[in-house]
Amino acid sequence: MPKLTVEAHGVSVELRDDETILEGLYRNGFAYRIGCRRGGCAICKVDLLQGEVFYNRPVADSVLSESERAGGTCLSCRAVAVTDVSIAMREDDDLRRVSTLMALYAASRTG
Amino acid sequence: MAVMRMGYMHVRVTDLAEAKDHYANTVGLYQTLEQDGRVYYKGWDEWDHHSVVIEEGGVGYVKCGFKCEKPEDVADIETKAIAYGYPVERMVAGENPEVGDGIRVTLPTGHQIEFYSQMTAWGLEVGTHNPDAFPRHMVGIGAPRLDHALLWVDDVAGIEKFFMECTGMWATERVQTSLDDDAHTIATWLTIGESNHDIALLEAPENKIHHFAFEMRGWSDILHAADIFAMDDTPIDIGPTRHGITRGTTIYFFDPAGNRNETFSGGYRCFRDRPTVVWTPDQLGKAIFYHQRELNDRFLTVAT
Repeated sequence: MPKLTVEAHGVSVELRDDETILEGLYRNGFAYRIGCRRGGCAICKVDLLQGEVFYNRPVADSVLSESERAGGTCLSCRAVAVTDVSIAMREDDDLRRVSTLMALYAASRTG
Repeated sequence: MAVMRMGYMHVRVTDLAEAKDHYANTVGLYQTLEQDGRVYYKGWDEWDHHSVVIEEGGVGYVKCGFKCEKPEDVADIETKAIAYGYPVERMVAGENPEVGDGIRVTLPTGHQIEFYSQMTAWGLEVGTHNPDAFPRHMVGIGAPRLDHALLWVDDVAGIEKFFMECTGMWATERVQTSLDDDAHTIATWLTIGESNHDIALLEAPENKIHHFAFEMRGWSDILHAADIFAMDDTPIDIGPTRHGITRGTTIYFFDPAGNRNETFSGGYRCFRDRPTVVWTPDQLGKAIFYHQRELNDRFLTVAT
């Protein structure tokens, strides 16, 4: 399972296979500025500092341009980590812990 | 009355298979045609061939169409739109499958709006002879019909004036900078008939579509729709809740490409002599989300 690090916030979480960065952070009790969760609105972009991601759905060029991709912009609702990754939140956004319980038990699952 | 209703909304989707699943199985529309990479749908309480068109590739607005009562009404809008100074072109029958002759007006924002008076009849799902109240086997939320759309535009007052002068619409509600006569219009809700809005306009830095909405049959159906969205993992922007503006009950949700949809119900009857309701920016939270009374991160910031 790839590891996701948000160094500036001292956060490190394990991502499940096929789980997007957004899903992984929310499953671990974090929240940040997100919109449609479906790759259309672009406000959940973060900066990819290290590691590799792939997009699990087609992403419109109007949402994420080639130059943005090349420059390390990552659309977190569609990005699935291929390797361990390190990201940074955008300047006008923040990562908030909304549930310590979810953080505590993120690794456990039912079913 | 020249224009009768918003007849169709045409949007782009990134993944056609996922979008088809959403509009057919979650929204519960009926597919009437698939042709040239586009899929056409109607709601159960609509009689024309289609009201929603999805097209693969990208995301966001392609165009919408308003249905007029008679060809003369389309001709009248053509004359007025040309005089108003917006580019107008004719469209011929078949250019949009099952849609007759009409005109296409391009707003200064680039949004294309079509006006037509004929579309192939398909029929109500309950028929017209001794009909039942709703189809016995509805799918998903069973959206009965397309209701309205909200466009992001950079010049609300100018485009509002076009709709008022050229199509006969009028504003039921507005958000404006103050209660003064010379206030700047931030948003407007325009109606053709007696519903709260057929099209709404919101000031924004980009020219996009904020959402398009389906009319539901009351609060209990809105609540039921929210349950279906939970079952189908459909992302909800907000709701179920009520709007201050229009008093309508609502859920905003997203299709699999991130286009915002709405289920809308209620509001009040809008006779043409009804005074326009005015909201000021300090009350915007309550105006939009009457119960929460505050905006969330995305409602006024994202569109496709």
